[in-house]
Amino acid sequence: MIRARLWIAALVVMSFVASACSGAATGPLAASQAPSAAGTSAVSAAPGPDIAIGLQTPLSAPGAVTLGQQIQRGSEFGVEYVNTVMGGVLGGRKLVMYTEDTQGQPETGVAGYRRLVTEKKVVATFGYVHSSVLLAVNEVAKGLGVPTIASQASAADITKKGYSIAFRTHLIDPMRAAAWLQLIKQKGWKKIAIIAEDTDYGVGLVNETKTQAPTMGLNLDIQTNVVDRTAVDMTPQLLKMKDFKPDLVLLIASAKQKDQIIDQAFQIGLTPAVPILNSNDEPTATNFWELHPKNGVGLMTIATFSPKQPLSDAAQWMAQKYQAKYNEAAIYASLNAFADVIIIAQGLELAKSTDPKALISAFETGSFKGWPSTPVTFPKADGVYWHNWSPPVLIIQFTAEKQDWRDAAILISASK
Amino acid sequence: MSVSTELLQQYILTGLMIGVIYIVMALGITFIYSIMKMTNWAMGEFYMIGSYVQYVVVSRIIGPDLWFIAVPIAGISVFFLGMAVERVLIRPMFERGMERRDEYATIVTIALALFARGLIQLWAGPFERTPGSNMPSFEIGPLPIAGDRVAACVGGLVALAVFWFVIKRTWVGLALRAAAQSRAGVQTAGVNILNLDQIAFGIGVALAAVAGALLASVYLVYPLNGMVTTTKGFEVVIIGGLGSIPGAVVGGLAVGLAEALGGALVATNYQNAYGFVLVLVILILRPRTGLFGETTRVA
Repeated sequence: MIRARLWIAALVVMSFVASACSGAATGPLAASQAPSAAGTSAVSAAPGPDIAIGLQTPLSAPGAVTLGQQIQRGSEFGVEYVNTVMGGVLGGRKLVMYTEDTQGQPETGVAGYRRLVTEKKVVATFGYVHSSVLLAVNEVAKGLGVPTIASQASAADITKKGYSIAFRTHLIDPMRAAAWLQLIKQKGWKKIAIIAEDTDYGVGLVNETKTQAPTMGLNLDIQTNVVDRTAVDMTPQLLKMKDFKPDLVLLIASAKQKDQIIDQAFQIGLTPAVPILNSNDEPTATNFWELHPKNGVGLMTIATFSPKQPLSDAAQWMAQKYQAKYNEAAIYASLNAFADVIIIAQGLELAKSTDPKALISAFETGSFKGWPSTPVTFPKADGVYWHNWSPPVLIIQFTAEKQDWRDAAILISASK
Repeated sequence: MSVSTELLQQYILTGLMIGVIYIVMALGITFIYSIMKMTNWAMGEFYMIGSYVQYVVVSRIIGPDLWFIAVPIAGISVFFLGMAVERVLIRPMFERGMERRDEYATIVTIALALFARGLIQLWAGPFERTPGSNMPSFEIGPLPIAGDRVAACVGGLVALAVFWFVIKRTWVGLALRAAAQSRAGVQTAGVNILNLDQIAFGIGVALAAVAGALLASVYLVYPLNGMVTTTKGFEVVIIGGLGSIPGAVVGGLAVGLAEALGGALVATNYQNAYGFVLVLVILILRPRTGLFGETTRVA
């Protein structure tokens, strides 16, 4: 009996330890670089009066872990850049980054933000991918006062609400919708079938598309299918879409559900006869062709970084380091996270203080070096453009198997 | 809304095919309960382990053309894993006549589920993977369907047939059926009930692993892929009746059909809820036994 209790206690403890460590993949099947452990962990270049920043990004399911890993990699280079090339901030103080795994879930994100602000005393948080998470976090952040930067979350409300703490360095839903509506107009497509996840991201983009289409002179016949984010079999919805005989399938989902929809649409013969346009830049990640070796050809997808786009000197430094360490090119998610870190550092220098209010004021008034050759600013503009800097948005199309995204055809190139 | 006959046929076919996999999953849960009178909350993690075994064997060793060899490998390996887990973690609860066995079983199996999930993420990372498939598409009536989905359905039926054979036509199966009727009675006949429990647990989790292996290329392989299927499995068990094998069959098909038809005809964003609607209906109409379960008298 006592032995049984000891076994059970040991199992319970091991289960919590394993869950806590579950973000760090170190075994033979692990991707090339293990993300940091879920929960709070630190990356520090040197001891001393460090300044803490907080990375909140999805590092485990059901979040978009591929993007989260890219963001974590980029942000680690950002810390290294600030501490070595920039020589630290505010008289040589080093940056320390603490990481919280949001798992793509709002409640986890809120809990992580509170820990970062109240326990780790971070001056800013960044790295958000899921709009639902950041919308929930910002409701807490507006009270605690520590600014948040949306690295890859695009829902309009994130900045549209006009919170002083909310900043974004990513494209916004109106731009995304405008890009694919521009493509639809070019191609003369009339019937659009949308399949979207039931999140702020998915539903927001559906509404934005429907709102903008008439303003662009488009009279579209749109069939909308909003699916439970946790569903794994979307075949019934895809059959309904196939029966609709659309000209285009607009896929507004992330992580595994996006991949499952791409596969299942192919399995029932919806694609490649009908092209799919994916709403985010996840297909530019390196594992895309591992998951879709046959049905990835012809996929159109949003991208936010053109290989022809000149990079800043900082981004060039990062791109070289990234290539050397990971033997692959840095993609937008990594570059943007890198830029967010150096923007925070520049903001601290401009503010000459770690006070969050001073930092916010510095963000609003300053002009910062990011990853592109043009500067980044956060104007106090109206509506969704409040505190927002957006990269240009592209629509690319894979035209060959295992094609590097940099060689994909560029169908649309647009900017604000 | 009006729906064409062909589309309706496609929905029904889709629902029935996925329902077969739900049956396999639910059978594992209900079989363990019928023998051991305990609920294994870690069934989804054994499903997940089965899918990872399938992925490793297919992608690293035998290739996608021989995928069918990996399925029994996944089942057999998880069978032995299940037996080991039962011996170490579950059996102590039976050996000493523990009073609050149900609570201990819940704690242990939930802890096991968390541990397995964390361990897989440590080993393989959180990323999705696929073993790949070279199977061509088929047309079953009006429905074009991927070969690996057909294979999963056929494999599920084969697994059910093997299970039926073992239970109905072997001495072990006879002993297991006797234990399901009366644990005390089977002991008086000289059968070691603890060894039977170990075998039953192994068979139950092996069924979950087979379901995971069959669906590895259909639904992708990732650390949380067992969670949704576990929920479906328990829905099926409640609908069909805990401990009832015919109930698992009927319940699995019912849930599969409900999700396919509800998601397509009613509202797409509540797809996972339609199974729960069936659960609610059964809990209202037959709360004690489900459709085919039987009341038991506790002496």
